[in-house]
Amino acid sequence: MERRTAIRQMALAAGTIVSLPTWAKGWKKADLHTTSFLNTELYQVLEVAVEAIIPETDTPGAGEIGVGAFVALMVKDCYDTAVQNNFSKGLAEIEASSKSRFNKSFSALQQSDKLQVLKSFEKGSDKDQKSFIGLLKNLTIQGYMNSEYVMTNLTHYEMVPARYHGCVPVKG
Amino acid sequence: MANFNIDSKNARTYDAIVIGSGISGGWSAKELTEKGMKTLLLERGRNVEHIKDYPTTNMMPWEFAHRERMPKAVVDANPIAASCYNFKESSAHFFAKDDEHPYIQEQPFQWIRGYQVGGKSLLWARQTQRWSQFDFDGPARDQFAVEWPIGYQDLAPWYSHVEKFAGITGNKDGIDALPDGEFLKPHDLNCVEKYFKEKVAQTYQDRHIIIGRAAHITDAKQIHLDQGRATCQHRTMCERGCPFGGYFSSNASTIPWALKTGNLTLRPDSVVHSLIYDEKLGKATGVRVLDSNTQEMIEFYAKIIFVNASALNTNLILLNSTSSRFPNGLGNDNGLMGKYVAFHNYRATVSADYDGFLDSTTDGRRPNSGYIPRFRNVYKQETDFLRGYAAGFGANRSTYNDKNGMGEELKESLSKTKYGGWHVGSHMMGETIPKESSYVALDPNKKDPFGMPMLRINIGYDDNDEKMVKDYMEQMTEMYTKAGFTNIRTHDNHRVPGNDIHEMGGVRMGKDPKTSLLNKWNQLHSVKNVFVTDGAAMTSTSTQNPSLTYMAFSARAVDHAIKEIKAKNL
Repeated sequence: MERRTAIRQMALAAGTIVSLPTWAKGWKKADLHTTSFLNTELYQVLEVAVEAIIPETDTPGAGEIGVGAFVALMVKDCYDTAVQNNFSKGLAEIEASSKSRFNKSFSALQQSDKLQVLKSFEKGSDKDQKSFIGLLKNLTIQGYMNSEYVMTNLTHYEMVPARYHGCVPVKG
Repeated sequence: MANFNIDSKNARTYDAIVIGSGISGGWSAKELTEKGMKTLLLERGRNVEHIKDYPTTNMMPWEFAHRERMPKAVVDANPIAASCYNFKESSAHFFAKDDEHPYIQEQPFQWIRGYQVGGKSLLWARQTQRWSQFDFDGPARDQFAVEWPIGYQDLAPWYSHVEKFAGITGNKDGIDALPDGEFLKPHDLNCVEKYFKEKVAQTYQDRHIIIGRAAHITDAKQIHLDQGRATCQHRTMCERGCPFGGYFSSNASTIPWALKTGNLTLRPDSVVHSLIYDEKLGKATGVRVLDSNTQEMIEFYAKIIFVNASALNTNLILLNSTSSRFPNGLGNDNGLMGKYVAFHNYRATVSADYDGFLDSTTDGRRPNSGYIPRFRNVYKQETDFLRGYAAGFGANRSTYNDKNGMGEELKESLSKTKYGGWHVGSHMMGETIPKESSYVALDPNKKDPFGMPMLRINIGYDDNDEKMVKDYMEQMTEMYTKAGFTNIRTHDNHRVPGNDIHEMGGVRMGKDPKTSLLNKWNQLHSVKNVFVTDGAAMTSTSTQNPSLTYMAFSARAVDHAIKEIKAKNL
């Protein structure tokens, strides 16, 4: 973040508008949220929520393999403002709910408490919260199942099957 | 200076000009160059070289930022292109942008365009069925449009000619309404598709479920290897452009073949404004081209001109080719150019479930599906609507993951893919009737960003189409029911004309110059050195996916043109 801000400030200082050079495209994933519709705090809640929904076990969780950035990008690029606003609101309410229930920030909660907060949204009566958590969960699953890690190591995606057999026995 | 001008004119003079590098133009260029004609192939869009210009072709699913979904801003800015099933992150660069290519919809019409070398041959659905004599007989028997000037026997050898080169997979099914062709080995029908085929055969004498005939090399022959193409690898990512050349496109096949002869000049970024007509000679002498890079208007000259700009753009160019002899468009003495445009009715789908074959599934991927040839009104009129419909048919074994809960429970569920039942689905492909009231015309005032008159499009469904939708739903429901399929769902998607991407007509073939624009060799009746062999030439639409027929028309017309040149008639 600091580097990008510095570049912008340098450009402003020079009185010119520059587009970022190609080398600047190699930003780390953690830097991406500065360009999304979420502020730093909400983006952090998102990353923690994504990891809580699909946590690390003997394989990596959704947070570690970058699903948070995917979810943020999808909501920013593929949904309208109303959905985006409800999404930001939902993330803020996750944080608020953590504080009122557990007196802690969402990121500081134990996994079981995180799930309790998220599930209360799923089971509650607030329509906005329900649609927010539904979208968050679906995008998290989509990002996880379509990640390089999962498709390469777990579901063994075939780019070039080179065959079609119309009738084979179901395995096991 | 005088010499310079002569040299310059000589440098812009060819034996033949082909307008458009899509499926039909690629074929015109291939046939012309193979026969020694110095040919200029004009393409309004950018160049797309096979493999080199397929930027997404080897990208893995996770490399698409939005996993193939198009960002909302792009969809909002391109509602027409985005209405196409094939418009996605991996293929959007092969679609013309809405705002750069405006036209006027007098009725809703989704005009899907591929403006680049290869045109829509990069994006097509690759289904390639021959027409039968029943299809050519349609207009005369049922008293609409005009009689076709040719029959199946005229086209059959040319179907064979193009099939062998393009590479067509299919099964010889021996069905009257859908003649067999030169097929490479067929794809499999799967368990449920085969079951449905048997059930239908037991119940109906005249209804058949077959594997689709498609432009995929299932068993590469020398002629395909010579093109640098290989056997299809079943990736089912055709719309990205195929690095194996497994399916037929101008880019993989006809254009490199034509270039290899040394007789082809390919000129992308060349928007054809009009054809030049010479009154003294009584023929077309060339074309006016807007170079979209330099904005310069340049003329090119040739003995013969093939117009393969895609159905509606061919209408547009010819209507815009005015002279004192042809004030209403080149060859348009009868005022019918632009009229009698039709399309294919894809409005209805019927889906269902089947609870058999639960111990079986499929393996791999198939760039093809089942097909139901037309069975309505084939031998005689038997319903309250004219003509009929073909249908796609496919079955697949569904898989799913439980998505209940969150946390480790959810993660565990996601690691266990379960089998659901079999789903079956079908969509109709109905013949629509060309009418004088279905037309395209030039707007008298408005111009597009290239300075071309904007096309006004007025094409819609009629009562015959409504009846056909209803009948398709009823018949499929009956067939599904007899096969024991359950949870049968019929759906009218109210798909807008144009979205079928099978628009045809406007410069129709016919016997009589008073009622048609082209003769039986695809020559303009009144300007014999101009040939139209794309969708614009179609007198009626039948039910088959049309590209194979355009290929055959192109090859046949070139053969005739060469004979006429040798006989000094052109």
